Amino acid sequence: MHPNEDALNAFADGTLPAAEAADIERHVAACVSCRQTVDDLREMLRAASELELREPPVRAWSRIERAIRLEQQGGARSVLGDAADADARPKGSRSDSARPGVATAARSRAALIWLGAAATLVLATMVGLRYAPARQAASPPPLGATAQAPAGDAAQSVESELRQAEAHYENAIKGLEQIANAEQNALDPRTAATLQKNLAVIDQAISESRAAVRSQPASDPAQQSLIENFKTKIALLQDTVALINEMRKGNEAGAARIVSGLKEKSN
Amino acid sequence: MDLVARIQAGDVDAFETLYRQHAARIYTLACRMAGSPDDGEDLLQEIFLQAYRKLGSFKGDSSVGTWLYRLALNHCLDYIRSRQAKMNKLTETLDTEHSFEPTARRDTPIARMDLERAVERLPEGCREAFVLHDVEGFDHKEVAGLLGIAEGTSKSQVFKARLKLRGYLRGK
Repeated sequence: MHPNEDALNAFADGTLPAAEAADIERHVAACVSCRQTVDDLREMLRAASELELREPPVRAWSRIERAIRLEQQGGARSVLGDAADADARPKGSRSDSARPGVATAARSRAALIWLGAAATLVLATMVGLRYAPARQAASPPPLGATAQAPAGDAAQSVESELRQAEAHYENAIKGLEQIANAEQNALDPRTAATLQKNLAVIDQAISESRAAVRSQPASDPAQQSLIENFKTKIALLQDTVALINEMRKGNEAGAARIVSGLKEKSN
Repeated sequence: MDLVARIQAGDVDAFETLYRQHAARIYTLACRMAGSPDDGEDLLQEIFLQAYRKLGSFKGDSSVGTWLYRLALNHCLDYIRSRQAKMNKLTETLDTEHSFEPTARRDTPIARMDLERAVERLPEGCREAFVLHDVEGFDHKEVAGLLGIAEGTSKSQVFKARLKLRGYLRGK
């Protein structure tokens, strides 16, 4: 009789008591099927242990930093928490010390721009990107609900959700475009041209997938395609804003990494 | 002044240093747990914002890296639980009358995916158990506690994940 799955699993993990392990060892030596399973399990364990860390996109820190500064500007939350905030330091001292290297005279306009960027990015990433087109349109209504919920209602609900998601994405894109366009003189002409080329390709893809959704509102692939194209455009605009930010900070290495990523995407 | 004290004093540069030290580990965990680089990036942002807000209450009982990892893990688990609750509502209706695999997945050339990509394709439930046990190194009892499942379920989910991965990587 073959060992059960749990036993083979534990055997591959090396967590079985010695006596049980010896029994399975004998079985595995004689059973091709179980030996293959154990070999595969061990191979998977080895591969899993060799998985490498993944570096987050360069823009990730820029987004976090801007969100932190937005919070500091709004004063809604603090790193010290409300209680510590009340008794640890004079009012306003954290706000000043937490913005090292930002010249007061040049701050106001830039602050407005980047606060706007942060608000847009938070909107885009925390609200819009979590939208995943549901499959409700293709699925039946819950059992027993047929009389109260005609199939058309589900389709309308999906269309309504999709429209809301589109509105979120379009708002986010609009805000990012305003920032990118206003600050584009910070970019060298070749980089700006690359960005424009990429944006034109994405805009074309959005137009096509939008047309597909309009002609087939219940099509899951069409919905997915439209959302993916929105996400691609937002990611590119986020890269653009991050690039402008790195260049303004004089971080040539950070800017070079972003430009390199943009070139890869355009090829 | 140490790094945590500088952050607690409002030094964003110090927080960036903390980010640079731990971002790859947190991002990797988030991507694998969520099964998507896009979601992983969002989670990374949320985790570090939460860390920034909560560092004031960090007592130094463990290293800041350990504290951050636990924060990240809990945040990922909250996200997955929330997503699963939504998915369960949906799949209840699908399971009753339309049990099928999405066509797009059936046609995907999974034989060429590397393990990282294959992990992303694992079903909810067994992916998290696999990541926590085989990649992050928790034992089944810990995985069960983290995911709110029985220890036996953790074992079967990890086994299921390994077999699915084998199938994916062989193109079955």
